[in-house]
Formats: sequence, structure tokens, C-alpha cells
Amino acid sequence: MIRRAVRLELDRVSASYDARPALHRVSFHADPGEVVALTGPNGSGKTTLLRATLGLLPLQGGRISIGDRSTDRLTIRERARWFGWMPQSEPIRENIRVRQYVLYGRNPWIGAWESEGEEDHRAVDRALAAVDLSVAPERGILELSGGERQRALMARVLASEAPFLLLDEPTAHLDIGHQIDLLERVRSLCHREQMVALVALHDLNLAARFADRIVTLHRGRLVADGPVESILSPELLREVWGIVAELKRDPASGLPYLLPTLPGPVTRSTGSSFEGVVHVVGGGGAARGILQRLHEEGFLLSLGAVHLFDSDSELARDLGIPAVVETPFAPLSDAIRQRHRELIQSARAVLVAPFAVGPGNLANLQDLVDTLGARPVALYEPAGLPSRDFTGGRAECLLQELRRRGAVALTTLDEVVRWVDRVVSAPGSGPPSAASAPAGGP
Amino acid sequence: MARTGGLRGFPLRSLTYGALLAAAFVALFLLAGLLGPVAIAPLTVFHILGYEVTGGAFGGSPCGSSVDPARCATLVLIVWESIVPEILLAFLAGALLGVSGGLLQGVFRNPLADPYLLGISTGAAIGASILFVFGVGLAQANLTLPLLAFVGALLTGLVILLAARSARSSIETLLLTGVALNAFLSGGLVFTLLYNPIGNLQLNFWLLGGVFGATWSQVGLLFGGLLVVGALVVLHGRALNLLQLGGDVAQSLGLDSRRVVMRSILLASVATALAVAFTGVIGFVGLIAPHIARRLFGYDYRRVLPISALVGAILLGGAFDLSFAILPSTELPIGVPMAFLGGPFFVYVLYRYRQGSGPGAGA
Repeated sequence: MIRRAVRLELDRVSASYDARPALHRVSFHADPGEVVALTGPNGSGKTTLLRATLGLLPLQGGRISIGDRSTDRLTIRERARWFGWMPQSEPIRENIRVRQYVLYGRNPWIGAWESEGEEDHRAVDRALAAVDLSVAPERGILELSGGERQRALMARVLASEAPFLLLDEPTAHLDIGHQIDLLERVRSLCHREQMVALVALHDLNLAARFADRIVTLHRGRLVADGPVESILSPELLREVWGIVAELKRDPASGLPYLLPTLPGPVTRSTGSSFEGVVHVVGGGGAARGILQRLHEEGFLLSLGAVHLFDSDSELARDLGIPAVVETPFAPLSDAIRQRHRELIQSARAVLVAPFAVGPGNLANLQDLVDTLGARPVALYEPAGLPSRDFTGGRAECLLQELRRRGAVALTTLDEVVRWVDRVVSAPGSGPPSAASAPAGGP
Repeated sequence: MARTGGLRGFPLRSLTYGALLAAAFVALFLLAGLLGPVAIAPLTVFHILGYEVTGGAFGGSPCGSSVDPARCATLVLIVWESIVPEILLAFLAGALLGVSGGLLQGVFRNPLADPYLLGISTGAAIGASILFVFGVGLAQANLTLPLLAFVGALLTGLVILLAARSARSSIETLLLTGVALNAFLSGGLVFTLLYNPIGNLQLNFWLLGGVFGATWSQVGLLFGGLLVVGALVVLHGRALNLLQLGGDVAQSLGLDSRRVVMRSILLASVATALAVAFTGVIGFVGLIAPHIARRLFGYDYRRVLPISALVGAILLGGAFDLSFAILPSTELPIGVPMAFLGGPFFVYVLYRYRQGSGPGAGA
């Protein structure tokens, strides 16, 4: 029932620790034989993603499937037969023999009433051979060097013969020689045995060298997914890691490497285009429902342009949503309008709340029409909405222009969520570098 | 699938230790006779044991030919109706406490965990104090005392279980919860002691732990309990091995970690309750026995658990003999020599193996 050559697929997976969201609608897949590097800065959600896949952290939304079956129906034991997990660190206090330790990896195959048998010992032998530790099975685990112990841990993971390897910083405690050695073993094993490895890696150079594909997480969201060259673009490196760097290739060996050209971190722009921000045009409390609901659903939002003390403005401040804010009662100034246009330009889609348009904020619609470009736009117009045009028809004229350019009319918040979900996760709507890359399969 | 059921062949070293353990049990029997209130020669004890076990199938005098037949009847009574059930009760209680300690140390991944430290024993004592202090069910004390102690221990175990259930609690928190619980219950115990001074003497005596006045029916009950607990414990060995890698890793290897933790705590509570109900509160056995077991047979919990039971039995049997040696004329509760023996020994173990790969290294 465990077969190799199966695809692992994550579909809009969300998870959180306590109330703190840690993963937002992450979707990607890994095909048999693929080594996928999970990259991203500290706290970006790499470990959380692996733990959620293992079932150690319950999913709050979305689904993880193996082939065509969802993992949420699997028992703990069945999961252990599919997934081999190498944690970042593992406390070993007792000096058990290496062979015994690796044998623990066979547990998913041994019933409560059984002891290990010939088959299990053969699997252990194979695993030890695969990491080149065959000479040491009778030594105590605490007597091994750091590199050997990491290999013993790897052998324990391999002993279960699970087709999916989830490796969390497997090279963290290794010198460079052992780092390359271990990842090379993982890579050739996956290619040969049609296994899948998801490897959380800090080191982008190692990721670039050993992974078939790179998935980048940033603040719990997937921001890039594709082959090495197209993913590790200067834009992504700046936005996600805050470094100025370029991916180069060594002319002699053809191996990719990362060349940071600036020492310190650079300032990142707010509302990064890599994160799929949805810009909301609102004011006067009209955007309240949209902001609350979309925020709960885990989407990234921005708001503009509103006045200080306006109830939408207050809500945005409470929810931590970036907003362009004008002083109370003043007409929108040129500087504010400029910042509003920038927010629209960095957004992936724009949602227009049913706000009342007067002379003071008509510029919002005008700026939207001017800078919208090809971005998807929707008008939220619940039924029974009173007339919102206090500009003698000029606002209605601009709204008509938006409709003419393909604006979708949405009448319920559920429709809003569905629309946003579609446009944010739609292929080709990502940042230019990721969008131009093949998404790594159909 | 060529997987064998049960234990694999023990190596020679284990056989040697096994023979030594068996010899220790016999020696403790004989020593008890020699050191007891009436010094009985080991050969005579041997004779009486043989006679009673075989039901006198070989005829002759129960005490052998060298003993005056008039005196023999008294000796048989002392050995078979007093010393033997008492030492057997000590063995059984020791085994249960040893197993309980082994389970708790495995689950908490901490060599300091034991039923006494976590308050399970004190919980049992509180249950029993209800009988002594309020005079509830005093008429059928033989039945109600074990029952109340049992309820007390189980309730304490349940509190620790509830703490374990709440998702946030780490193993360390759980352990400290037990320690705090023990302190709380000890306070409650002192309070009940002050509440009714009349019941005090009996309660005090029981609290110190003793096997005097043990009956064969008590031995039978405890033996049955040990069999049940033992059968369930054997199934936990491999799970506890995996749990040493941490709950998450164990779960990633196909083990329902939470369930194993729950079941182990529950099982340890039952084992402790059984022991405490019949012998009162006896500390240190649950703490030391698993240490010695690991020392002798390594870290595999499939062996640590049964060996802890054997070592616990020998420890408490030894304490029983020692209680005669210290004060032959008085009924010294075995909790006293156990504490005399256990305290220094434990400190020794801790310091002896502090650095290096000893079992105390993780403390």
C-alpha cells in the first residue's frame, strides 16, 4: 500500500501555533524523484510546514494529499510509513548502539505484539550502507562524531523506507564536507528511488546546488516556487532576505552560487509584491466587513486612501494593515495620492468597498482608474445599497469605467473571499520573475 | 514477514545476572528466618518451605529431623504464617513500585521521577487517612484501607493525567506539576493528622510502611495485581524506548505518544496504589530500582521494566531482613531501613555516574 513514485501535494494549507498564524494558504507539490528545497529567512514557516505535513500540527485549512488521497485520514502509524522526518535536533541522552537507534526507524512496520525480524534488520543494513555507516553499528551513539551522528539520524529516517523525506536543516551541525556529502546522498537516493525530499535549508548556496526546485516562504506565505535560476532572482533576495545579491554560475563547473554584492541588509519595501497583497479602496466604515473577513482568512491587505480617525482607518491600524492616511477633513493631497497610487501598483488585485464618494475622496477612484493597469478589480456592492454618489454623477462615471475594464460585481462577503482567493493564487499573477518561470509541473 | 513474537534470546551475561537474582531471592528468605524474632536456622527454614510448598508430599517432620517436634509446630507457624507472607508481600510491593518507577522515569524522560516524588504515594496515603481519621469503614479495615488508598492514588494519577492532557504542558512542566502536587498533598496529610489525634498512631504506623501482619490473602491479591500490571507493562517497553527520542519524533515513527504517556501514568498509578494499599508509603524503591536495572542491563526499556520489578522486589525484601537486623524485638516498618539504605545509595549513584555515560548523567 506504500508505493513510490507518488506526488505530494499541499493545497492552500494554513496552520497556526496557538492563535499566532504560522502558515497561510501554502500550495505547492513535489513530484517523484524531486528534491525540493524549502527556503526562507528565520521564522518564515519552514519547520512549521514540515510539522504540519507530518501531522504534528493540525491544519487549520487546506489539504495535504499523497497521490489522490488526503493525509488527514491516515493513522499515526500509516503516516510514519509515508513520511520520514529528520528533526532539526534530537536529544539523545542514552548511549544506545547505533544499530538499535536505526532500528527505531522500523517502528511503523512492527506491531505492538511483535519484535523486529529479519526484514527489519535488512532494512537497517541498507540504511546504514546508504549513509556509509556500515562499520559502526555496534558503537554507542554518543561515541560518534557530530557528522557520524547526523548520518546515523539520516539512517534512522531511511530505515522506515518512507517515500517522502522531510528533512529539517539536515546540514545544520555539519562541516562543509559533510554537508555536501549528505545532500548528495539525499539527491541521488531521490533520483534513483523515485523518492521525494522536502529539505528545509538556510544555506541558499546548498539549496541552489542540490535542489531540483526551490520553494520560498516568507512570513508563512509561499512567495516563490520554481527552478533555481528563475526563483533566486535579485528581486526575491532583496524582498525576502533583505540582501542585494545575484545568482551566478561558476564557469568551470557550471555550479550555481550566490554572490551578495552589498554587505548589510537593505530596507525592504512595504507590501511586497511577492506576497500577493490585495488593496482595498474604502472609507467611512464601508470596508469594515471586507477588512475583518479577509484579515481573518489570512490574506495580506492594504487600504487607501482614508482619513485619520475614519473608522476604516482605525480598524486598519488595529489589524496592522498598511494604509494611506490623510489628515481629517482635508481633501486628498498630492503626496497622499502619490502613495495611494504606489500601493495600488504593488498590489496584486484591488477591491472597491461600497464607500460613499464625495468631492473629498473622489480622487481615490480617479487614481484607481489611472493606475489599475491589468490588475483584477472587483466592486463589492451588497444588495440594498443606498446611493453612494455625492459628486453629481462623476463617481458613477468612474465606476462605469471600472466595470467596462472587467470589474467584477460581488454582493456577499463569501463571494469576496472566493474572488480574492482565486486572483491571489492564480498562476501568472505572481511577481514577474516567478511568473515567467514554469511552475514546476502542471 | 519473519518477525518473532516475544523476547529474543538473552545473552550469557543476562543469564548470569538472572542466576544471581534467583540466588538473592532464596538468600533473603533464609536470612529473614535467621534474623527474625526467633532465630531459625536456614536449613530449618528450607525444610519448612519445602514441606509447605509440596504439601508434605514427602512425609517426615516439617522442620527436618534435627528439630524438636514440639518446637516444630511453633516454627512452622512463624515461618509459614508470618515471615513468608510478610516477605512475599515485601517482594510484591517492591516489584510493583519498581515497575511504577521504571514507567514514570521512561515517560518523563527523567531519572528523578518516581511515584513517591510525583505524589501518587502521598495521594494513596490521603485516601487511607480518611479511614483512620474519620473512622470511615474501620470495621472492615482490611478491605476498605486498600480501597481508599487505591482511590487516592488513582485520583492523584488522574490529576497528573489531566495536566498531561492540556496541550501546552511539556514533560518538564508535568514533572513539576507532580512535585507541586506532592507538596500540596503532604500538607493535606499533616492537616488530617492534626484533625484527629486518636487515629494518628495507626495512621503513622501505616505511613511509615510495613508488611507486618501480612496474610496469604493479601499476598494472593497483590500477586494477581502484579500479573495484570506486568502483562500490560511488557507491551510498553518498545514505546518507552521510542519516547526517549521525544514525543514528536516518537509520533513521527508511528507511535501515538500522547496515548502512551497517558496509559503509562495510569498504569504506574495502579501499580503504586496496589503496593501502597497493602504496605503503606514506602519511598525510594521506585526511584532506585530502575537505576540499578539500567546499570545492569542497559537502556532498553523492554528489559528495564521487568528488571526494575525484580530489583525492586529484592530491595524491599532486603529492607525487610534489615528491619529485623536493626531492631529484632520490635516491628520496625520496612520504610525505615529502605530510607536508610535508599537515601545514601541514591546520592552515591548520582555522584558516581554524574560525569560520563552513567544513568545518573541525565539528572
